[in-house]
Amino acid sequence: MAQRASIGQYYSVDSPIHRLDPRVKFVGTVVYMASCLFVDSFATLLLAALVAAGAVATSNVPVRRLLAQIKPIAFFLIVTSVINLFFVQTGPVLVALGPLVIYQNGLVAAALYTIRFFLLVLAGSLLTLTTTPVALTDAVEKLLSPLERAGVPVSQGTLILSIALRFVPTLSRETENIIAAQTARGADLENKGAFAYARACVPLVVPLFASALRHAENLGRAMDARCYTGGDRTHYHILRMVPSRDYPAIALLITYIALLVAAHFLL
Amino acid sequence: MTTARLAAGNIAGNADLNAQKHIEPLEGAGACPITGAQSTSGCTPPQATGTSASLIACNDVHVSYPGSEQEALRGVTFSVPAGQHVCILGGNGSGKSTLLQLFNALVLPSEGSVTVFGMRTDEPGQALAIRSRAAYVFQHPEDQMVTSIVADDVAFGPENIRVPQPEIEHRVETSLAAVDMSAHAQADPADLSGGQKQRVAIAGALAMEPEILLLDEPCAMLDLEGRRAVSDIIERLSACGITIMHVTHFMDDALAADRVLILDQGRLAFDGTPSEAFSQPELIRELGLELPNKVHTAEELFGKHAETRGTANASAASTLHSTTRHAAIDAAATRTSTLAPHAAARPSIVFEDVSFSYTAARNPRKRARTLFGVHRKRGENATLQAQQQARQRIAGNMPLALEHLSFNASPGTLTALIGRTGSGKSTSAELACALKLPYSGRVLVDGIDTTDLSRRSELRRKVGYVSQLPERQLFAETVFDDVAFGPRNLKLPEEEVAQRVNRALETVGMNPSDDLLNRSPFALSGGQQRNVALAGVLAMGQPILVLDEPMAGLDPRGRANVRLMLHELKQAGTTLLMVTHSMEDVLELADQVILLDQGKLVAAGTPQAVLAQARDGEVQNHGATR
Repeated sequence: MAQRASIGQYYSVDSPIHRLDPRVKFVGTVVYMASCLFVDSFATLLLAALVAAGAVATSNVPVRRLLAQIKPIAFFLIVTSVINLFFVQTGPVLVALGPLVIYQNGLVAAALYTIRFFLLVLAGSLLTLTTTPVALTDAVEKLLSPLERAGVPVSQGTLILSIALRFVPTLSRETENIIAAQTARGADLENKGAFAYARACVPLVVPLFASALRHAENLGRAMDARCYTGGDRTHYHILRMVPSRDYPAIALLITYIALLVAAHFLL
Repeated sequence: MTTARLAAGNIAGNADLNAQKHIEPLEGAGACPITGAQSTSGCTPPQATGTSASLIACNDVHVSYPGSEQEALRGVTFSVPAGQHVCILGGNGSGKSTLLQLFNALVLPSEGSVTVFGMRTDEPGQALAIRSRAAYVFQHPEDQMVTSIVADDVAFGPENIRVPQPEIEHRVETSLAAVDMSAHAQADPADLSGGQKQRVAIAGALAMEPEILLLDEPCAMLDLEGRRAVSDIIERLSACGITIMHVTHFMDDALAADRVLILDQGRLAFDGTPSEAFSQPELIRELGLELPNKVHTAEELFGKHAETRGTANASAASTLHSTTRHAAIDAAATRTSTLAPHAAARPSIVFEDVSFSYTAARNPRKRARTLFGVHRKRGENATLQAQQQARQRIAGNMPLALEHLSFNASPGTLTALIGRTGSGKSTSAELACALKLPYSGRVLVDGIDTTDLSRRSELRRKVGYVSQLPERQLFAETVFDDVAFGPRNLKLPEEEVAQRVNRALETVGMNPSDDLLNRSPFALSGGQQRNVALAGVLAMGQPILVLDEPMAGLDPRGRANVRLMLHELKQAGTTLLMVTHSMEDVLELADQVILLDQGKLVAAGTPQAVLAQARDGEVQNHGATR
């Protein structure tokens, strides 16, 4: 009944994006996110935004749902844009209200950096909304498998990631229950300042830790019982690239990067 | 390990077993959901395991845990033939879970030997071989799932034992079908009810295609409906020939079994059929258990599945049920009459046309936003206006967790909130102690409106709240500090705090010795932790107490203890509001019953009246017309 935490939440519908090989999606997203950092003009921003819009449109994920995921960082976006707005002090002066001076480059930076960061986060959200945690961990495991030979525990690492995602809603619900229980015992959480709140959190944090440890212990036993050894396993989902789906996606990605590079040097 | 062992060949062998167990075939289930599905895949029949006829053999098993003086098991010997359905009963700390974990080598005997499938569990390298054929389902479904997609989780076991991919797909499908969860294959377990989660966990076990299914209190945390669904599945699987070892606190589960083992302080105290066991009431009570019963009462109340359950086996004990039930009803009747003067007193909890929605939930710790004018002040106009607005928005299809609920609860009485998962019981409980605020309507606690923030601390002194699994709120270094947390928050003098701690611990049936007071609450057993947590609320000394399933997960002794405590509180004039799944508790304790379904009031009144109403079929009709 608690509000669901939406971190890493899969949105179960069918779409060309959902059906892409998770490796293609993962690499594509990482490349796209990196490319956002090279967006430095409105032309390249438009290009990046078009790619993002295209991906969102084909994903069948409601825009509302997508924005809900980005909501938590909205505050951060606003702060960075305000900082850019006032601290970039080059170019012609646009507005001067006493100590507040806004320069043209400040406005450009505020718009550009905020939107490109927004696109970056959007891409990450779209990945988690269209890819199940297992598909994602399978993809990462496969992509990083060369490291396994160097002794890096890739498959264990990816399983840990999947389990962490799985326990986010569980722990957030338990936190809420513990808050309710301690509030009813008169814990000072009602209308308090930050410091008093932090001190009053001991009765919340201790049970939460105890609960996390209990989950860990139980889960460990359950995994033992289900024959998990950390060794070689088979996979329920086989990662296989489908030429008709995955190759066009790769081609699009390459075209986008090429256009971005061209725009960067030509404009 | 990749060959399936369950199969069609086994059905014939089970036909007589079925007859012997009087299992009524479930409609539409085709008798054997799993085997039926698997026979099409050309699976091989189960191999006759080992040289002996017994699948599991314990020989004078002792288990001791480091740091504990007493052995968890003290010389247990028995064996189980293939296909048997065994229920393991016993109080908390009797060694049931330890025993079960011996069978798949999660626990190894410190003396004696355990042989499963002819393999000794303590021989190196055998553990995995045994676990791949003996699947385990734990008490908390949440703690046995590794991923956030149901189907992927079911596949986890087969992946681990290196089942090839096409076969995994097939197993995931058939296992989910066997527990009626195919429709939820792509769901997130976090969105499922407890019962559904546990069914997914069972599917995860079945995907291993086990010969033995080890069930460790799989129903302890479930509501009635969840329990019933899981019990049905267990019976179906048993009919398919899977050997089942089922640890449970519910005596009704034992009625469905072929054999009952009762453990008492690490020793095997009884080994026989369920009817043999329950025809010895003195023995059962002596071992801290109770007679099977009141599920049937509940069935009358909810009017569902009552006919579909295989109850033939229960006939042996059915006379017992009716007598205990009638005794309980009589007791309830006498109680209400003696409590009549109390009931006339001013109601201390009042729900006035209360609605609640999670989508429009307000933060109970913040002042209502005056900007929108909703619930601003308690002035009549504002309230009316708010309610009108509320109704308009309700008409706009907003999902309501609770709709227009009105009731009163008086001092010295217990009001039971009942209904299935998602009916709004827990929401009502939280509304009654200002942990949630109504969307429309009013909740008055001893005359204080829960939305009135200026009187919130006064309200906190009036109403106590025992959350679900309250032991999870324990945090302090010592039992004393934990129980004293509430009284200290009330800024009471330390002397008074100490007094209250002692009194509260006595009320929950614990001796407040220095030894106990100085112990860490985390070092106590589960039942003791529950008592300490209850004491932590009682020490606040509030005249109104809201309890959310205070008996969940307790053994019969623990349940009896809490019941006794509630009786005492009632006698002392406390107003009690209790969410419960147990009809037994309702009949024994409640003066007033509120039956909710999907946020709406279905029936209210004395337990007898609600029961009678259910008998007349009004409740069923109500449910059917929805």
